[in-house]
Amino acid sequence: MSASWKQLFFQILLLLISCRHINTKTPGPTSPPLDPISPLPTLERSYVLKGVSHTERVELLNPVNLSLMCTWAGNQNKPSNITGFWRKDGEEIENSRVTVQLENEQYNLKQKFSIVSEENLGSYSCVFGGEAKIDFDLAAPQIGDVRDKPIVSYVGDSVVMTCKMEENKPKPNTWNWYMANDTGKEQIFPAAEPQRYEIKNDGWKTKLLVYNLTEADSGLFYCGAVYPISTTMSHVELKVISFYEPLKPFIAIVVEVIVLVAAILLYERSQSKKDYTAAGNGPGDQTNSLTPGENNALEESSSMRQRKV
Amino acid sequence: MPPAAASNLDYTPPDGGWGWAVVFGSFISIGFSYAFPKSLTIYFKEIQEYFSVSYSQIAWVSSVMLASMYAGGPVSSILVNRYGSRPVVMVGGVMVSTAMVLASFGRTIIHLYLCVGVIGGLGLAFNLQPALTIIGTYFQVKRPMANGLAMTGSPVVLSTLAPLNQFLFDCFGWRGSFLILGSIVLNCCVAGSLMRPVNKNALPKLKAEPSECNGPAAEEAASAPSANLLTEENQSESRSQGCVDKLIDVSLFRHRGFLIYLVGNVVMFFGFFAPVVFLAPYAKHQGMDDYSAAFLLSIFALVDMFIRPATGLLGNTKWIRPRIQYFFSFAVSYNGVCHLLCPLADGYVGLVVYAVFFGLAFGMVSALLFEVLMDLVGAHRFSSAVGLVTIIECGPVLLGPPISGALVDIYGDYKYMYYACGVFMLVPGIFFFIMHYYNYKKLDEERRQAVAVDMRTCEEAVELKTSQDEKTTHETDG
Repeated sequence: MSASWKQLFFQILLLLISCRHINTKTPGPTSPPLDPISPLPTLERSYVLKGVSHTERVELLNPVNLSLMCTWAGNQNKPSNITGFWRKDGEEIENSRVTVQLENEQYNLKQKFSIVSEENLGSYSCVFGGEAKIDFDLAAPQIGDVRDKPIVSYVGDSVVMTCKMEENKPKPNTWNWYMANDTGKEQIFPAAEPQRYEIKNDGWKTKLLVYNLTEADSGLFYCGAVYPISTTMSHVELKVISFYEPLKPFIAIVVEVIVLVAAILLYERSQSKKDYTAAGNGPGDQTNSLTPGENNALEESSSMRQRKV
Repeated sequence: MPPAAASNLDYTPPDGGWGWAVVFGSFISIGFSYAFPKSLTIYFKEIQEYFSVSYSQIAWVSSVMLASMYAGGPVSSILVNRYGSRPVVMVGGVMVSTAMVLASFGRTIIHLYLCVGVIGGLGLAFNLQPALTIIGTYFQVKRPMANGLAMTGSPVVLSTLAPLNQFLFDCFGWRGSFLILGSIVLNCCVAGSLMRPVNKNALPKLKAEPSECNGPAAEEAASAPSANLLTEENQSESRSQGCVDKLIDVSLFRHRGFLIYLVGNVVMFFGFFAPVVFLAPYAKHQGMDDYSAAFLLSIFALVDMFIRPATGLLGNTKWIRPRIQYFFSFAVSYNGVCHLLCPLADGYVGLVVYAVFFGLAFGMVSALLFEVLMDLVGAHRFSSAVGLVTIIECGPVLLGPPISGALVDIYGDYKYMYYACGVFMLVPGIFFFIMHYYNYKKLDEERRQAVAVDMRTCEEAVELKTSQDEKTTHETDG
C-alpha cells in the first residue's frame, strides 16, 4: 500500500511541478497563449492566398479558440522550404517562427489562438518568408452608420441621442453610455443623477436622454454595445447652444422683410401721387377711394348681366 | 396675341406692366403654399425621436397642414371678395410666421399639430387663393403665361427650401430652424405688398361687342336694355340671395363649366399626388439605393420646373387658347397613361424615363389647373370658385396617398397602385374631353343667341331714337 501511496505522491508532485512550470512561462502583453488550457468553443478560419496580401474580417461574439489556417501557392521560384511566422498588430509573436515545407505546390501555416477578451482582438497576420501575408481582423460586431454631424440642442432643453446596431448583426447584451472628459471616457450611470440622465435600451437600439442641458454638456458621447468578447464603441456629438444663436438670423430676416415691404409701399404711394398730380382731380381719384368691397359690388352687378348671357 | 376667351370684366386688364411684379409676388406665395408642407418632412425624424412618437403620428403634422390649407379655401375666398388680395396675403404671411415661431417653443406633439398644422395651414390658404385670384385681375390675353409662371413657384421654392432646411437643421437643430423658417416665410408679406389692387379707372374701358349701330345710338342702346335687364335680374336674384351668397358665390353650383371641373378634379386628385409620394419608395423597392432614388425626385422636380412656364406659353398660342379645356383634358389623360405604363419601366433607366415623362405630365396639369377654372367661370367669380373647389378637393387630396399606401400593403406590389392612379387620372381626362366638347358647343350656341339678341335690341333702339328725334323736331318746328 505504501508503494501505491508513494506513486500517487510522486504523480501529484510531478503535476505540481509541471503546473508551476506552465505558470512561470508568462506570455508577453502582446502575445497570446499558444497552448490553450480552458474548454472554449473552437472556430476555424482559413484563406487561400492568390496574390501577395489579403485582409479577412472575422466577427466574434464570444470567447473562442480560434484556429487560423493560411495557404499560399508561392511565387515564381518555389523553394522547398520557407520561413513563416505570425504577427499580432504588426509585432511578431514570440516563438511563432516555423519552417514551412512545400506540400502539393502549396505552403500551409496553421495556428491556434485563445481569444478571450478585448486585448486578444486585433489584427493577426500570417507571413510567408517576408513576401506574402494574410491579415485576419478580429473584432466584435461594429456599428455601421455613425452620425457624422453633431446634434444641436438648446440650454435648458432636453435631447435624445440614439445608437443603433444593424439588425442583421447579433444583438448586444446591453448598452453602456460614456461621456468624454479630460481623462478619457467616463461611464454615465442614470441612477446617480436621475434628473439629468436616462438610458433606454431596446435590443439593437439605445437612447440616452439628457435633461436640463447646459453648455458644458457639449462634446462627444460614446455608446458601447456590450458583447461577451468586448464592447464596440460608437460616438455621437452634442452641441448645446443658447437661444440667441438662431435669434440673430431671425431678426435679420424680419428687418429685411420690413424694409422691403416699406420700400414697395412707399414706391406705390409716390407713383400714385404722380398720377394724381398728372391727372388732376379726376374721377380716377374718387373711384380709387372706393374700397375693394364696393368695387366687387360693381363687378357683381355687371356679372349678373353676364350671367343671363 | 390670340383673341381671348369671353372676358367677364368691365375693364381691360393691363396684361403687363405692374402685372409682372404681381406674377412674381404670386410666384412666391404659391411657392410657399405648396412647397412649405413638403419641405418640413426633413425635420420629422428628429422631432419623432424628441417627442418619442411613431412615424405616423409625426406625419399627421403634414396632413393637418395640408387639410387646413385646403379647408381654409372658402374662408380665404370670402376675405378676398371683401378686402382684396393684398391684406389677405399679408395676414396669411404673418399667421404662418407666428405659427412657426410658436411651434419652435413646442413641448408636446399636440402643440405642433395646432401651431404648424392648423394655424400654419390656414395662413398658407390665405396665401394661395389671393395669389391665384389677383392674376386674373391683371391678365386676360397673357393669362395662361402668367398662370404658368406663377405656378412654377412651387417646384422652385421646393428645390430651394429642401437644401436650406437641411442646412438650418445641421446648424440650429429643429427648434432654431422653425424659428428661422418663421422669418423666411414672412417674405410672403413682401409678396403680398407687391399685389397692388388693379387701378381700374386708369385703364381704357372694355369695347362693346361690335354691332350694326354707330355713335351715341350704340351707347344708349347698350345702356338702356342692360338697365332693364339689371332691374329684372335684381328682382329675381334678390329673392334668392341669402347671407352666404353675399360672401361667396354659391350659385356657381349651377354653373355648367364649374360642375364639370369640380367632378373631374375630385376623381383626379385621388391619383394625383400619390405617385409623387411613392416614387422614391418604389425605386428603393426595385433595388436602388437612397441616392439614386432621391436623384429620381430631383429629375422629376427639374422637368416640372421647366415645363410649367412652357405649358403657359403653349396655352397662350392662338391654336390652343380658345380651346384650352381640351389641352387640360389631354394633360390629365397623359398623366393617366404615364402611370398605367409605369410598371413596364425596367431598371434604373426605365424609371428615369418614367420620372421625365411624369414630370412633364405633372407640370402640365399644375400649370393649367387654375387657368382652366379662370377660363370657365371668369376672373371675378374665380375667387369664390377656387375656395369651393379646394374645400371639396380636401377629401381626395388627403385620402389619395393613404389609399395608395393601403394598395401597396395589401398586394405587396407597387404596380396595382400605379394602375389605380392611372385609372383615376385617365377616366377624368376622357370625361373632360367629352364634357368640354358638349360645353363648348353650348357656349357657342349661347354666344350666337346673345349676339342676335343684341342686334335686335340695337335695331329697336335705333328705331326708337329716330322716332324720338322726329317727335322732337316736330315739336320744335311746331
